[in-house]
Amino acid sequence: MTDRTVDAVVVGGGSAGLSAALRLREAGASVAIIEREPYLGGILLQCIHSGFGLHEFGEDLTGPEYAERFIRPALESGIEICLDATVTEIGEEPDGRSVIALSRSLGVIRFAARVVVLAMGCRERNRGNIAIAGTRPAGVLTAGLAQRLVNIEGCVPGRNVVIIGSGDIGLIMARRLTLVGCTVRGVVEIQDYPSGSARNIAQCLNDYSIPLHLGHVVTRIEGKDRVEAVRVAPLDAGRPETGREFRIPCDTVLLSVGLIPENELSRAAGVPINEGTAGPWVDADMMTGARGIFACGNVLHVHDLVDFVTEEARRCADRAAVFLKGGAREPMLPVNAGANVRSIVPNACAPGRQNVFYLRPLVVKNDVRLEVSVGGQEISRKRLAHVQPSEMIRFTLESGSIPPAAVRNIPSESGTAVEVSLR
Amino acid sequence: MARAGEVKVTGNRCSRGETYGKEEVLAPRRILTAVVPTDSPRFPCAPVRTDRAIGRAVVPQLLRELYARRVSLPVRQGQVFIEDFDGARVVFTRTLPPDEIPSVGEAGTEAEREDEIPRLQKAP
Repeated sequence: MTDRTVDAVVVGGGSAGLSAALRLREAGASVAIIEREPYLGGILLQCIHSGFGLHEFGEDLTGPEYAERFIRPALESGIEICLDATVTEIGEEPDGRSVIALSRSLGVIRFAARVVVLAMGCRERNRGNIAIAGTRPAGVLTAGLAQRLVNIEGCVPGRNVVIIGSGDIGLIMARRLTLVGCTVRGVVEIQDYPSGSARNIAQCLNDYSIPLHLGHVVTRIEGKDRVEAVRVAPLDAGRPETGREFRIPCDTVLLSVGLIPENELSRAAGVPINEGTAGPWVDADMMTGARGIFACGNVLHVHDLVDFVTEEARRCADRAAVFLKGGAREPMLPVNAGANVRSIVPNACAPGRQNVFYLRPLVVKNDVRLEVSVGGQEISRKRLAHVQPSEMIRFTLESGSIPPAAVRNIPSESGTAVEVSLR
Repeated sequence: MARAGEVKVTGNRCSRGETYGKEEVLAPRRILTAVVPTDSPRFPCAPVRTDRAIGRAVVPQLLRELYARRVSLPVRQGQVFIEDFDGARVVFTRTLPPDEIPSVGEAGTEAEREDEIPRLQKAP
């Protein structure tokens, strides 16, 4: 067994882990990144399309280009990088945390650290999550797996493809598979509106005349050894109209039906999970309910834009650096999701400073008022031209927005909380 | 097919919207990204992009050109693969194989006091 001692261990070397590790290193901390794959960069490396970095760099970058903007500095910064290694356990020690990793070359490594940053990203929902009836033939895979096969491994998973779900990954894969010679027979979306962006509908589907079946559901997958067809029915008030069902012959079905933060490791470490995001509950310092364990990126909540992952990871690292220096913890108020808000991150705010929130709406709506209230009293509002569940909302609550009376109540017996609503 | 003078763009909120709208109707342009096969079993695909948008109509032609080639690694991000296609360069977007992870001792500064620590990387 190899024993190592660092200030901070970052679990995951994708966009969140790299950004957090670099920022902690800049703050003077000794940092180790533990990455499962044999290279840094995470899922960005398989996202060869462009559209990354518009906020962060003001440039239209591909995934690998965005990743290398962080990989190169990480290699030069003195961050310890442990590749091909899987973290199996995060433990609690009298003076901090232990992280156990299994490495191909070094066997068991035990890190002692005062801070752990969770940056493991997320997983794709698959067939089991959406319970599609039918047989279980080969040829049913998630869109992200297909992306890895085509862009990293150089394999094409089939010829005639139906995509379930109109999330951005599914749309990107519709174009990508078309460009490598597949025929995409259609995209089937259960909602009446696409989950992906308008740009991707235009450039990934319309450019190649790929049919988009909104308000439709795949009722059955057919085929014995290999997928032979899917049956598709329109939805009427949430129920499939079996009388209008039709059949699309295909040999491959891709699922692009959402992402789930990957928190097995966090749960085992006793980190409380927030139901709305399926990621850890975090306070205004991006610290989870387990002391010394911080979280950022898609392990915390699923983002649409990597630029926001970078921003969030840096903020997380800044607070983790303060924690490492033994800085006093500021008083905080809990933050709750109000009307039409599915989830909000972070789950607490520090009234003494600026707080940045990310929230996920429950509704598609134009001309929306974002309201922030404390104990029923409105303290801030913002107009939004349009909201939809597939677009995360970012907003800032300036320092001093929260009335001193509410701050004086911390820790609050009365349950005073900040509530954010969309009306 | 519409001609330039016949296209009227509405609803745009800046002048770039008008240019984009006209272009989108008359001759849409796209950034193309793809992978080209390599000679390496470890990294069989090298991702590439056009450094600017090319005519959508010539995308199949560029794909044929890309798929007919095989690249020898190493390649560096930004390295030019095709100098001129429809006014665009085709460049590699990922450095392959990835740059070596430096050993902890070489990384310098704070890490130096722990230079007896073995490097935490699997040899390729």
